[in-house]
Amino acid sequence: MGKHGSLSRRLGAFALIMVVMVLGLGIRLVDYQVVRAEQIREESFKSRSITQTLPALRGQIRDSSGQVLARTVFRYDVNAAPKNVGSIFKTVDGVRTERTVEQIVLELAPLVGLTPEELTARLAGDGEYSNLAKKVDAETYNAIRELGIPWIYFDPFADRLYPNGAVAGNVLGFVGSDGVPLAGLERQYNTCLAGIDGQETFERSAEGVRIPTSNVTTQPTQNGGTLNLSIDANLQFFAQQVLADTVNDLGAQWASAVVVEVETGRLLAAAEAPSVDPNDPAASDASDRGSKIFQAAFEPGSIMKALTTAMVLDTKTADAFDKVKAPDYMKLDFAGGWIKDSFGHEPYNLTLGGVLRFSSNTGMSNFGVKIDKETRHNYLQKFGFGSVSPLRFEGESSGILHDYKDWDKMTNYATTYGQGISVTGIQMAYAYQAMANDGLRLDPILVENCVSDDGTVLYQPKQNSTRVVSKETANLNINLMEKVVEFGGVGQNAGIDGYRVAGKTGTAQIKDGSGYGSQFAISFYGVAPAENPKFVVGVTIYKAVGVSNSLQATFPFKAIMQQALKSYRVPPSTSKSPDLPSGKYGEVETRS
Amino acid sequence: MAVYMVSQAQARQLRPKMTAGLIFVAGIAVVLLGQLVLNMILTQDAYHLRSLKLEKRDLTTQVQILQEEVDSLASPQNLADAANRLGMVANPASVLLDIENDKVFGKPRPASAANAAVASANLVANAAMGTVSDFSEATVASAEVSESVETEKPAASGLVLEQGLIPASPTR
Repeated sequence: MGKHGSLSRRLGAFALIMVVMVLGLGIRLVDYQVVRAEQIREESFKSRSITQTLPALRGQIRDSSGQVLARTVFRYDVNAAPKNVGSIFKTVDGVRTERTVEQIVLELAPLVGLTPEELTARLAGDGEYSNLAKKVDAETYNAIRELGIPWIYFDPFADRLYPNGAVAGNVLGFVGSDGVPLAGLERQYNTCLAGIDGQETFERSAEGVRIPTSNVTTQPTQNGGTLNLSIDANLQFFAQQVLADTVNDLGAQWASAVVVEVETGRLLAAAEAPSVDPNDPAASDASDRGSKIFQAAFEPGSIMKALTTAMVLDTKTADAFDKVKAPDYMKLDFAGGWIKDSFGHEPYNLTLGGVLRFSSNTGMSNFGVKIDKETRHNYLQKFGFGSVSPLRFEGESSGILHDYKDWDKMTNYATTYGQGISVTGIQMAYAYQAMANDGLRLDPILVENCVSDDGTVLYQPKQNSTRVVSKETANLNINLMEKVVEFGGVGQNAGIDGYRVAGKTGTAQIKDGSGYGSQFAISFYGVAPAENPKFVVGVTIYKAVGVSNSLQATFPFKAIMQQALKSYRVPPSTSKSPDLPSGKYGEVETRS
Repeated sequence: MAVYMVSQAQARQLRPKMTAGLIFVAGIAVVLLGQLVLNMILTQDAYHLRSLKLEKRDLTTQVQILQEEVDSLASPQNLADAANRLGMVANPASVLLDIENDKVFGKPRPASAANAAVASANLVANAAMGTVSDFSEATVASAEVSESVETEKPAASGLVLEQGLIPASPTR
């Protein structure tokens, strides 16, 4: 029995050890699986899992034909870890080759835009980080990657590219190096363009490979929408070319040109010079980085007369045949008040057509002041003056239209010929649009819509219209404005072969302190073809050196209008402008 | 530990069944093997996925490079400059043909640099313009002469001539 006894004792001891071990494991198990389970799971998940922000790509800005004016591209910062810098060894077919740091530096230096000496200096030391180049393009990035240098790494980031440079740059605005929009439409429509960043969490192995069955919690990325503009990039480029030329020739401070599609109110071009290249806004003066068409208000001068004549016709104060006295100098009914015309002449007897054609200040005010101040003020408001346009462009000016009760005796006269009021280019262009569109002013359209990737329309402006003058008034007024281009000394230069053009010149003195200085804002605003207007083109040239009449504004007007008519295939006019009096004594003029 | 006495028939009955054991072991083996294969496929796919993603990244980069090149070549600045180098002048006089009514609108007039409304060369800044069309009257002429000769110049002023075509635009 002794043998049996020792066997069962040993078995007993074995069982006991087993029980103790199982118990031990059990306690551990309970500790891991129940007591500290949550904590351990979390720790382990943390060490394996990685959360990535999936940046939303900023949407494109396109012109009316789909040409991309702004797109998002990737740029790369090139960095090195100096402490790892060393030769690269490679074994090809059993042959071990070495590329020394010196050799690598010679290959790398031109790619990062440094001299070999500068590059060597940046690679010195034993730091983890040394920047070699910022914002290199994809081509350079690929070239550097092909060198296969293990101690070079890249930080990619999204950047903004404007493929057409300064074309519409002043309207587009630009984006700062941190991706924050700083000006223009980029800023105004940021909500639609920016999109929403996504997030993704997954687990990965030691080699960085995603574990296939691991949980992925993703907040989907919503890329920015595409902003579609009414701008015609080709026409815009042409207009900018013309203006750049003009500003260079005349030494002007700036020039602007607006092209409006009459029947739709779409803004086809909003060009200015100097312009800003949104790829490199720092290259332009801070004052040239915005859009003067929206932000700069100026006293319009005689381009306003074509609106005053419409008021006279619309209120039936006079018709196209009624005449007023128009001397070259006229004393007013208050002390120290006088008005004179821009040139000396014998006393004329002018019709409304004659007032426009000779651009007579005296004649215009004699017609204009027959209408009471309040009525004229209301017309000016309906034409869109004194308030920002519905576009609400960044920093848009409302111009200055004083309450009629605050008009002093001089302002009462001066507003009829465009002094004592200040306007923006966009306001004046749409006042002319109203005239061209049978008296109905349409809200300007610059942004057609903003559309997401899947075609959902995220934003679309609502277009309202304002009845300013009657259809008859508008059409007759356009006929009167044709006389400027048919017979006007300066206006004739705005004529385009084959087309009936209606328009008005403007030479406005610029306020210099309290009085008027010797510098001018010269303009030509016009429409064509007069019998069925398709386009309004408005050109303003500000502070041209030594220029005191509007002749120089007619050339850019003509060039841009001609280009618009040509590129939109508008057939030439087949009719003639009706015979309406525009002569010195109210007679009908005929072309010699 | 107890020892029992049993008959032979009973003993035979008590002996574990060989087939059941085999089925059991084979079952486990199949399951394990299946899991192994599945794991291998999944892991392999994970690596495959990763390599495809890298390839996609490379291709995306390639697309971006080409897109930027196209952008630059298509920019009005480049076109204006290229046209100007070829001696082209914009003709402001528009002439339209009405095919239905056999009518000609406008008077055809030759374009001349003297009455062109605007300077032909580009005046509008574009810092994004990298690749430009590298042809002028001289290069086009030389392209006609050197037909079927493949010329390759250094990248800086690179110009690759293809047979009888207008010179392809070089990269940078």
